[in-house]
Amino acid sequence: MHERLPINNFKNKHFIIVLAFIGFSAITCSLSAQLPYDAIYMPKKTVCAVAAYSYSEWTEYWENTLLRDNANIGKHIDQSAMLMAAAGLTDRLNLLISLPYITTKNTQGNLLGQQGIQDLTLQLKYKFYNQKGLSVHGVLGGSMPMSKYVPDFLPMSIGLHSTNVIGRGIVSYLHQTGLYVTAHGAYIGRSKITVDRDSYQAYDRVYNSNRVAIPNVTEGGLRLGYLKPTFQVEAFLESSAGVGGDNILRNNAPFPTNNMTSKSFGGYLKVQPKNIGFSARIAHVASGRNVGHSTMFMAGLLYQINPKSRTESTESIDKPHFKIIENQ
Amino acid sequence: MKPTSSSYLKSLVCLVMVTFSCSKEINDNVASSYTPAALDEKGGTWKPYVLVSPNDISVAAPKDITDPAYLKELDSVKNFIAPRVTPENKQAIAYWGAGAVYRWNEIARELAAKYNLAPAAKSDGTYPVPDANNPLADPKFPFANPPYTARALAYLSVAQYDALISAWNYKFKFNRKAPYKNDNGIKPLLLTTDLPSYPSEAAVVAGASYTVLIAMFPGEVPYLDSKLAECKNARVWAAMNVPSENSVGDALGKAVAAKVMARAKTDGMSAANNQALTPGLIEAAKGRGITTTWISQESPLRPPMLPNYGAVQTWNFDKVIQASIRPALPYIAGSAEWQKELDELKSIQKNQTRDQARIANYWADGAGSYTPPAHWHRIAANEGLKNTYSEIRMARTLALLGTAEMDAGASCWETKYYYYTPRPQQFGVKTSVGLPNFPSYTSGHSTFSAAAASVLGYIFPDQASTFNAFAKEASDSRVYGLIHYRIDCEMGLVHGKKIGEYAILRGKNDGSGL
Repeated sequence: MHERLPINNFKNKHFIIVLAFIGFSAITCSLSAQLPYDAIYMPKKTVCAVAAYSYSEWTEYWENTLLRDNANIGKHIDQSAMLMAAAGLTDRLNLLISLPYITTKNTQGNLLGQQGIQDLTLQLKYKFYNQKGLSVHGVLGGSMPMSKYVPDFLPMSIGLHSTNVIGRGIVSYLHQTGLYVTAHGAYIGRSKITVDRDSYQAYDRVYNSNRVAIPNVTEGGLRLGYLKPTFQVEAFLESSAGVGGDNILRNNAPFPTNNMTSKSFGGYLKVQPKNIGFSARIAHVASGRNVGHSTMFMAGLLYQINPKSRTESTESIDKPHFKIIENQ
Repeated sequence: MKPTSSSYLKSLVCLVMVTFSCSKEINDNVASSYTPAALDEKGGTWKPYVLVSPNDISVAAPKDITDPAYLKELDSVKNFIAPRVTPENKQAIAYWGAGAVYRWNEIARELAAKYNLAPAAKSDGTYPVPDANNPLADPKFPFANPPYTARALAYLSVAQYDALISAWNYKFKFNRKAPYKNDNGIKPLLLTTDLPSYPSEAAVVAGASYTVLIAMFPGEVPYLDSKLAECKNARVWAAMNVPSENSVGDALGKAVAAKVMARAKTDGMSAANNQALTPGLIEAAKGRGITTTWISQESPLRPPMLPNYGAVQTWNFDKVIQASIRPALPYIAGSAEWQKELDELKSIQKNQTRDQARIANYWADGAGSYTPPAHWHRIAANEGLKNTYSEIRMARTLALLGTAEMDAGASCWETKYYYYTPRPQQFGVKTSVGLPNFPSYTSGHSTFSAAAASVLGYIFPDQASTFNAFAKEASDSRVYGLIHYRIDCEMGLVHGKKIGEYAILRGKNDGSGL
């Protein structure tokens, strides 16, 4: 979950997931978009299933602060297929689950592409406060690797193989016209990882160990959009930064200990006239450090399951509806 | 019992604590101080590599233990230094307590890793050459690739060993006892031994190591200054030596190392990167039947790494022997045997198992690492530690290994450029570990590893089968990583074993009786 990492840190393919997640969420059924950073919820006993494809590429990357290309990489491409579900446990408590399959490749050079199932992410999103369009939410979740992929063959690795916990706060204001603004911030704690080698260079020294401490991550975002029961459009700014971490050495490959920092912008669109809907997302890293100068696209199909034939959408953002719930 | 929501919460908090409570600390410094199993009293008679005799550098007799100057030093250690030892000082004492040879070898490996990065291409498509006179510019000097590192560690270990032979000679000649034996009011902070303390063996190793390493890593002088001072100071803080035993030891170590570095200056390394030779090497390889010669797979094309390193002076055999043990002609690209081995790589590329990837990654020791020869130094140093070797026996171990590894590097490089064979990547194979920029046959990893395993098997016979298994796995790792044909690895192992045997022969005749 680590959502919103900029589209493509080398190292943190999480971002892919994230993106996908976002996309999904975005996609998420009806208004119940369900992104881990939005203010939208699936109503109780409603599930939104999403299948998304995402693509990200970069030809330049920040080697520490130096923006460069690399003829031995050419264009680096990550693609992922992801399954995600958002379930309304209650109208104000949603469970978000996601699992991506990722492939990586370069268009030049001889580095072998990697592929595999990456990390399973579970998040609970809870609405603490909702009055007069203003809402406050908390997200608590975690992720763990679902396969034994290699974490330190960057930029080809599909992820960093850490087990993570995430805490996020969201504040959103939705005007009756459908215009909204959302701000969110998150802290992602990342476990140490185990690599195949038993010695590595990081933080300006050599560690004689196969355990690697990688930095935690902070994220932030600001989103401005327009939300209707069957339609959502949004523009956003996102940032991600390591807490500590080191930098890519001159002409070296990235390493999981690097502080991958990025600022990105993008847009999101979701259309869901019926149970079936569609979403798309685009994002671009505007500036960064130790990450790819990447652009990411995501497209998702979403399907809303309403066992109790609760229709849609709008209710999840419908204030009176929540009030009712709150009064129960 | 049905879990309550608060028990769920507790479980979650626990999980979070377990996963993240620990800091980002990685505790990898497990070496600690020990009492050597043997003093190796006859170490002063062992055969040095560069020194002609252990008396080449003269050391004045120490002052008598009743001399006021010595008594003053004892008093200072006891009444001035000991009461002021800080927790940081104690950390340094514990760190250096693992042994000066052990720690300086570790420092050298760390520097090798730090400098093991190939220069980045310039915008005009050429590659800058590291400049020893401007070591911290981009690119940094040196590019501590495997041949460079093998050589740096060889000189480091030889300088330590020769200096300790000289030190052992003087220690037992003068037989000055340790401070705590001359004044029982002095309480040492490390385990005590009966080793005479003049000159200080730690200071000897420090002075010798410093002299080699500032030449090999000229951008690290301030760091090495601090390590030199800390290594010597720790001995005084721990009351293992008085300062004058350190200064005499430091001077002895530096003087011996200066002689060792005189060999380094004329061993041919300065011509190892003579790129003007490559057209002739290619033509000569074609004359030997190589139809497709090696081409750099980097973009822009990078000149091959150290094409003339094979001419660098070897330690345990001469150039006639080097030529006589060179591996035979490999399979020629396009032949049926070659095709079979290429097909093996293509098959692994398609279905590389996680265990193959693990082995490839474990032994890769590529860019930014301390390189394969240093990996073997680490294995050797840890084995010496486990066997509680004295400083001089540790130095002998690493000198035998270090010279064998440099010989392996030179002989392997000579073979590589003699045949100039193409990498599998010239035929569309990818790699999961990164591709070195020099010809394929034979495998450097295989040669380094077999030479090391044979030397270490001689020194630690009960571990011989383990070392041989390591070497085989390191060799296989290059097939699993997809950058070598099987023949490169098999012939490299055979070659490396022969090279190691010359070091063993030397070890058997060095007067140690080991």
